[in-house]
Amino acid sequence: MSKLILIEQLKKTYHVGKVNVEALRGVSFEINTGEFVSIMGPSGSGKSTLMHIIGCLDYPTGGKYFLSGQDVSKLNDNQLALFRNQKIGFVFQQFNLLPKTTILRNVELPLTYNDTHSKNKKRLAAQALEEVGLGNRLNHRPNEISGGEKQRVAIARALVNRPSIILADEPTGNLDSKTGQDIMKMIDKLHDKGNTIILVTHEAEIARYAQRVIHLKDGLIDRDEVIT
Amino acid sequence: MILQSLKIALESLWANKMRSFLSMLGIIIGVGAVIAIVSVGTGSTQQVTSRIANLGSNMITVYPRTARGQGGRISSVSSQEKFSLKLTDYIEKFCPSVIKVIPVKQVSGRLISGDINVNTTILGTNIDYAEVNNYEVDRGNFISENDDDERRQVMVLGSQLAKDLFEDDNPIGKRIKVNYDKQVYMFDVVGVMKEKGGSMGGDLDDRAYIPLSVAMDKLTNSDFVTSYIAQAASSEKASTAVNQLKNFMAKFLNDENEEQFRIISQDEILDTVSSVTETMSIMLGGIAAISLLVGGIGIMNIMLVSVTERTREIGVRKALGARNTHILFQFLMESLNLTSFGGILGIGFGWIAAYFLSQYGDWPMVIAPLSVVLAFGFALFIGIFFGLYPAMKAAKMNPVDALRYE
Repeated sequence: MSKLILIEQLKKTYHVGKVNVEALRGVSFEINTGEFVSIMGPSGSGKSTLMHIIGCLDYPTGGKYFLSGQDVSKLNDNQLALFRNQKIGFVFQQFNLLPKTTILRNVELPLTYNDTHSKNKKRLAAQALEEVGLGNRLNHRPNEISGGEKQRVAIARALVNRPSIILADEPTGNLDSKTGQDIMKMIDKLHDKGNTIILVTHEAEIARYAQRVIHLKDGLIDRDEVIT
Repeated sequence: MILQSLKIALESLWANKMRSFLSMLGIIIGVGAVIAIVSVGTGSTQQVTSRIANLGSNMITVYPRTARGQGGRISSVSSQEKFSLKLTDYIEKFCPSVIKVIPVKQVSGRLISGDINVNTTILGTNIDYAEVNNYEVDRGNFISENDDDERRQVMVLGSQLAKDLFEDDNPIGKRIKVNYDKQVYMFDVVGVMKEKGGSMGGDLDDRAYIPLSVAMDKLTNSDFVTSYIAQAASSEKASTAVNQLKNFMAKFLNDENEEQFRIISQDEILDTVSSVTETMSIMLGGIAAISLLVGGIGIMNIMLVSVTERTREIGVRKALGARNTHILFQFLMESLNLTSFGGILGIGFGWIAAYFLSQYGDWPMVIAPLSVVLAFGFALFIGIFFGLYPAMKAAKMNPVDALRYE
């Protein structure tokens, strides 16, 4: 198995006024292609910061982050945007769909930013929606579907570019437990199909869907646990 | 990328139809006002200019000033007593840009036909008067050279005067009694003029016209005329003609300060009128341009609100791979769409307004292509200028902060 993510002594310090907040104080781990990893920790543990850095949304202030062999801290804004577009598929807690456009257009969105031809765009987006079981509701708007369905649209959107990593940030946080389980089963199925999945959560129950749980505490790795 | 930004921008404008329309309204009104006002300015100027041009061809009138004495004494000789017939020939001789000089003797008298009498102005003049004034005969003839040479007591009536004296009867061949200075003269009506309306120095339709020789030798027994009407060779030479006349009169009357005579030219009136309307157009156009500017500020306001409101959307777009330039173009396209679409609607609105105003004011509807291009170009410029700051603000947003925004 090849190393997809290599993180060495990763640090992130925020300057809030005159106070320096050390969100990450030297985190090191590796993730291989095809793994399903949960990053767990209470709020303030630095898991959101870690997720932002892994998702190429933010720069670390110290240490190294290699994604597919590329040193991410050396990329500029535009290259980061390209990385986010092609390597990362985001699933957010709040779904973050554009409210006034159809779910098909929502799923097409990542494709618009890499100049996919409009004909292919529609086909690929419809295909991704098919995969999450929403193939017959392409022209519905987000306010016409349920929370679980919204999250499935978000998963389709994350999948549409066939990214290296699916990065899910508390994907069940806004759902009832039954729907949450359905979503987790869907994510699990994606993993079975060979996708690399990183799940950020504070719920132990959700984290246990993964094969491996990285416990964060106060900006450091507390435990790196393999679940059997 | 620009095409794609255009599509995204149109979608988001369509999603907020009411807001988009309201923010466009400022531009619509601004562009419309510019076009309508410029059109009204040009149309009304054309109307006034053509009316003035219609009054006569390159006419310059020379009047004596009323005598003005100092310290209670009347000045020695009134300039009126220098406006002789001989001067007519002198002017023609010494002012090369003047092609014709028509002496006019104006008196007031009472005209009597049957039991109707009318007090009116009687003008003694010659055949050229009608031509210079663009004044056409309706029935019969104007005063001829023979009439003048032979001092025939013939009369031509203005259209209104003919109606007043004879109502619907044909006045040609009728006799009219003229009471002037306690004397009675008999005149034969030989012609009636077409309706003309106002001219330089009065309403032509109310007047009676008689041969100059009759007015001077029979009625007034005077050697001096009331005024001269000079015709310039062409409209280009009108101002030269005016200067030549001024110089000549000043020398002839020995009057360097131009105290004894007054010269009014048609071009002078034309210049005054067009400079007044021009100033008005510029002023109103300026006000319209300011309203366009205010519309632009409204657009910027809306765009700033829109950027703040859609912070999370910007974060999502960035997370999904939008570059800063994608976001910049998206918002720039939105404001540009607002102003360009507003500009197009404004052109239509201005066109309609100009049409109705021209109907109301009875002047030709003139839409200057330049005003359309200028107003639309200005609208586009405003779209970019006022859209740039909000778009840059959106583009520069940090994706992490934008995603966290509630």
